[in-house]
Amino acid sequence: MEAPYFELRNVSKYFARVVANKDISFSIGHGEVVALLGENGAGKSTVMKILYGLYKADEGQIFMEGKEQKINSPKDAMALGISMIQQHFSLVPAHTVTENIILGNVHGKIDYEACKKTVKNLAQQYGFDIPVDAKVSDLAVGVQQKVEILKALYLDAKLLIMDEPTAVLTPQESEKLMEFVKNYTKKGNSVIFITHKLKEVMEVADRIVVMRNGILCGNLNSKETNEIELARKMIGKDIVPAERKKEDTKQEKEVKLKVNRILVQKKGELPILHDISFDIKAGEIFGIAGVSGNGQDELCEVISGARKVTEGEILLNDEDITKLSIQERIEKGMGYVPVDRHRDAMIMNMTLSENMMLKTSFNKKWKKHGLIDKTKLDAYTKKAIEDYMIKAPGPDAEAKGLSGGNQQKVILAREVDNGKELLILNQPTRGLDLGAINNIHTAVLEERNKGKSVLLVSTELTEIFDLCDRIAVIYKGGFMGIYNHDELTTGKIGLLMAGYVREGEV
Amino acid sequence: MIVSLLSRALMMSTPLLYGSIAEVIAERTGMMVTAIEGIFLMGAWGGFVGTYLTGSAFIGILMAMATGTMTAAIYGIVCIFLKQHQVVTGTAINILAAGFCTYFQRVLFGIPTSPLKIDPLSQIAIPVLSKIPVIGPIFFYQNSLTYLVYFIIPLSYFLLFRTSIGLIIRSTGENPEAVDVAGINVNGVRFVVVLLAGVMGGVAGAFYSVGYLGMFTTNMIGGRGWIAFAICFLGNWNPKGAVIGTVVFGFTEAIAIYMQSIGGGSYFPNELFIALPYILTIVLTVCRKNFNVPAKLGVAYSKEN
Repeated sequence: MEAPYFELRNVSKYFARVVANKDISFSIGHGEVVALLGENGAGKSTVMKILYGLYKADEGQIFMEGKEQKINSPKDAMALGISMIQQHFSLVPAHTVTENIILGNVHGKIDYEACKKTVKNLAQQYGFDIPVDAKVSDLAVGVQQKVEILKALYLDAKLLIMDEPTAVLTPQESEKLMEFVKNYTKKGNSVIFITHKLKEVMEVADRIVVMRNGILCGNLNSKETNEIELARKMIGKDIVPAERKKEDTKQEKEVKLKVNRILVQKKGELPILHDISFDIKAGEIFGIAGVSGNGQDELCEVISGARKVTEGEILLNDEDITKLSIQERIEKGMGYVPVDRHRDAMIMNMTLSENMMLKTSFNKKWKKHGLIDKTKLDAYTKKAIEDYMIKAPGPDAEAKGLSGGNQQKVILAREVDNGKELLILNQPTRGLDLGAINNIHTAVLEERNKGKSVLLVSTELTEIFDLCDRIAVIYKGGFMGIYNHDELTTGKIGLLMAGYVREGEV
Repeated sequence: MIVSLLSRALMMSTPLLYGSIAEVIAERTGMMVTAIEGIFLMGAWGGFVGTYLTGSAFIGILMAMATGTMTAAIYGIVCIFLKQHQVVTGTAINILAAGFCTYFQRVLFGIPTSPLKIDPLSQIAIPVLSKIPVIGPIFFYQNSLTYLVYFIIPLSYFLLFRTSIGLIIRSTGENPEAVDVAGINVNGVRFVVVLLAGVMGGVAGAFYSVGYLGMFTTNMIGGRGWIAFAICFLGNWNPKGAVIGTVVFGFTEAIAIYMQSIGGGSYFPNELFIALPYILTIVLTVCRKNFNVPAKLGVAYSKEN
């Protein structure tokens, strides 16, 4: 039998005392598409970073066409024809497309004109429409990804590793990417892509390698498996999806949040948000779908009070709160889980108790004789730990010691309690594994059933469809429309997310 | 009179050019060389000691490069490889440098009754060119270190914007991951540019002791390293901008010295002129808009995150 293109044998990697990879062995053939499937923290990226030379394996070997290779740096990997596209693009935003592509791959004096020409030709060869002179920071995320791919092609990569390539793309862009993968592998090249999305795995992969907790737990032919089997292998147990009860439509419900013709615009610039109007009723989850960076974060900030509106008004329970401060809005019963929990929601070096009172520290309920009532605070935190099944040693544990999912649960617990009326969730499950996502979904649905209003921003369509009663699609700061749960399909929402109004316009 | 003032302005600008261009190159990789004041001082001291002991200014300047590089190396190791905070480390090194120079100056020479003197670098008139009216005496009647900087200015610009090394340097300060993924050692790049800043900062320091005053005192740098640091900001991290910023500073310093010499103190307090470059630093830093700050300035790079 012919030796496979690349083969990993018994690769292990330890970070401090934590096992990131244990005994990973699999191979990839010429012209093959392998999907590396697993939850966050399963060790997928780590093993690929070893293959690409970014990390050093503590044990194990890598073979290329039967010969052992030592890959100590990305330079070695590139010499063997391996290229990797990181999840967070490794582009220099302030530089042009051409400068990014030739970085580290030219010597001495740079002939910019010649380089531009080469890049242009290469882009044409693969049907990419890329402005070679544009600054990367001016390009849409989908185009930036193409620049990354082009960077690999410029180096004449034969094995392309892509880390969660579709996470930032619209369904249509993803489809185009999959098309590229098929074309590329037809020429005898190979692709490994890391993902946790079962659907795309079934679509494009020839073979599926499943990882869980750093261990390889499945190496399957895509024709001989199905999504249910894969999910079970990936999670290690069956998962009961959080179920959304049909809302009671007969009963007319009160409107809790009303947003009226919001405009956010800096002088002389295009509006960040324009003409946004909607309302959320009690016991309703209102979803905002869209590719990230289309104004979702700003909308959440406007409602929570972190950003001023240029025009328009916001009403909570018929009271105008447009001019109220963040603190006053919290007192009125507004909870907010921001998108970047490390930056906006938690202080990593503080204890869980301290984090729990972070946003209500002004409130008298925490005070006793002018000092913090630690007994009360700890009891409150302990209850949250139990209620939300947070894996933490106790209220005095530092936030940074918790996993991402458990940190998010702490924030959710706090905000659910703050948000007696309205809960704003901006991508609450971003970067979490399926188990934690499930917990959070269940908790959110529970709050809805209690009669709270929920504003849910998400880029994951499954999340939007699983949870929301009504869905708005946001594109370049404006709504493409507001739809009832049943009115949308993946195809239709995808077009709306890309800014197409009717299907005929594609 | 104006000619001699401008000639003087250019001379006073020379060390600031060395310092600010070194700072521009280093900061483009994300390394604020906050030890620049200490590097200047160590260069001044090293240059003086080398020249005094051997009688050769050339060896003195080599010595200045060595002491400057040594200081930069300590800074680089602590900030790049041990990942300590750049401002804190730089401040500590600046204090250390002041103490180091004072101590070893006394160990070597005791406390002399009159200041130790060396011959400062002489002005060299370039044949033909120095005869051009106005321009000649300003630009072509200077010392060798000033002539050298004429070449360093375009060279540094060419290096940063026209070569692959420059592209790597600029990318390192914007997104070190991109550089790492391209198979280049990020911390290696940073360490090299910090050492380069040590060499150039050492020469800048030597300009004050060997090139101009012909003596050494422990307070002779007097914040000029920080001025070079500020010029890098004002010049928007570009050698061209650094040149403009430097000329402005050199000019005010020259006016201050000139006013002092003609006794302008009877009209204006002389301290005002001495303070002028520093006031200008504050005013310009506040007024300057549209900063083009390298995105990862001051941030240590570690791979495992």
